[in-house]
Amino acid sequence: MGLARAAALVALLVVWQIAVVSGAPEFLLGPWQVVKHFVEALGTRELYDNIGASLGRALPGFFLGSVAGIALGLAAGSSRAFDQAFSPAVFLSYPVPKIVMLPLFMLWFGIGETSKILVIALACFYPMFINAYYGVRATPKVLVWSALNLGAGRARVFRRVVLPAALPQIFAGLRVSLALSFIVMFAAEMVNARTGLGQLIRIAENSLRFDLMYVSLITIAILGYAGDQLLALARRHALAWQGSAT
Amino acid sequence: MAGKRDLKRLLPFAFVIPLLLAWEAASRSGLWNPLLFPSLEKITRELVLFFSRPEMIHEAWVSLYRALGGFALAAAVGVPLGLVMGRSRFVGELLDPLFSGTYAVPKLALFPIFVFALGIGSLSKVALVFLECLYPIVIVTSQGARGVNRVLLWSAGNLGASGAAALRRVVVPAAAPFVFAGFRVALPIALIVVIITEMISSADGLGYLVMYSLSSLRTDRMLAAVVVIAAIGWALDKALVVLRNRLVYWEKLDTYYV
Repeated sequence: MGLARAAALVALLVVWQIAVVSGAPEFLLGPWQVVKHFVEALGTRELYDNIGASLGRALPGFFLGSVAGIALGLAAGSSRAFDQAFSPAVFLSYPVPKIVMLPLFMLWFGIGETSKILVIALACFYPMFINAYYGVRATPKVLVWSALNLGAGRARVFRRVVLPAALPQIFAGLRVSLALSFIVMFAAEMVNARTGLGQLIRIAENSLRFDLMYVSLITIAILGYAGDQLLALARRHALAWQGSAT
Repeated sequence: MAGKRDLKRLLPFAFVIPLLLAWEAASRSGLWNPLLFPSLEKITRELVLFFSRPEMIHEAWVSLYRALGGFALAAAVGVPLGLVMGRSRFVGELLDPLFSGTYAVPKLALFPIFVFALGIGSLSKVALVFLECLYPIVIVTSQGARGVNRVLLWSAGNLGASGAAALRRVVVPAAAPFVFAGFRVALPIALIVVIITEMISSADGLGYLVMYSLSSLRTDRMLAAVVVIAAIGWALDKALVVLRNRLVYWEKLDTYYV
């Protein structure tokens, strides 16, 4: 199977390179050129500055949104009163595209970092809240009853039974949130920023620097993939007891 | 019981009404520039204007048809692809790494290339919506198709159903709730992508209207557009849930979400 997969990948790259060599439009670079430009860019300071600026927005936003989402989701899942007061508003606003808040935040907090971090946090909040909420709600009741029967207090039940039961769902939410934080970061930078990978791709687009366009594209792809893999690693560690983690 | 249900329906607004009141208070307090917090009255006036002007309705229509066009294409390609990936081991193992490996990569980064390839109009936006929506639909559908109860398939085969009949009568109904779960994730994404791409580079659509109103300091108009976008997002989701409960009538959705 691994062989078939590798063969398919190589075939794809070869077809791509041939298509480019035999006269593709200017904006389509071949895989060989893309790699060459990317390696060249790795030697420049500019790329690292932009990566730093982008991560400086995506990660604080992801962190803020996830922490708030997990905390409120766990609270809504465990407390009926809080659930009834708070959850309907979250579910009502869930299908609304959060990126529309960016212009509003730009108005209130200026076009600097705050507005971008806040809109990323807002986008990350929703999947975290919903996953933490359903993680808690899906806790097997028998486990909670057993723990109570064995004399555990409410706080202890929450920490030792509910939290571990919700953890797989929380990780599922983290995966969605991390991907979202990169998308929203990129979008916010493409709309309005002076630094970052999204702004780099805008400059490249406007000045027809196709090489820079691909460098930005490859960089964001690698960052997204690496973040996802790191999260999968953390998940395997945290959920080692779960056996076959999918 | 009926009274209690009505009360439940009103609950979301328990949070919204204080928020609106706080907004109005902020707008009237005079602490901030009225541009930052335009009064509810002004926003409402802009909303009424929005619905009374055909060119504004046209902007909403443009955004809506880009979102739904890309979503429909993704559904038309993603559902069969997901079914095949779930039922055929070879195809599944070949394509699974492709989808899970590039899942976390923001496809938005491809937008400038799409603009060069397909132009700045609707086509590049529909293509990006298609790509972003394809992922959740394919991934969730293939999960559903893989999880079909084997006993049901064996029974169907035993009772003389051909491969095609088993697919239509067993696999598709079993995967249907998953297909709709994928749709439910993909549909808000479709709207998000359309709004983002219109904010980045466009000459029409609601995303463009938001950015244009902001840069001409008509924040009341901008907020009216934001309200319209939010309402479209909410209405699309509701419509999908109604459709789902009609088609997948044997498995009711009774929670708020998925």
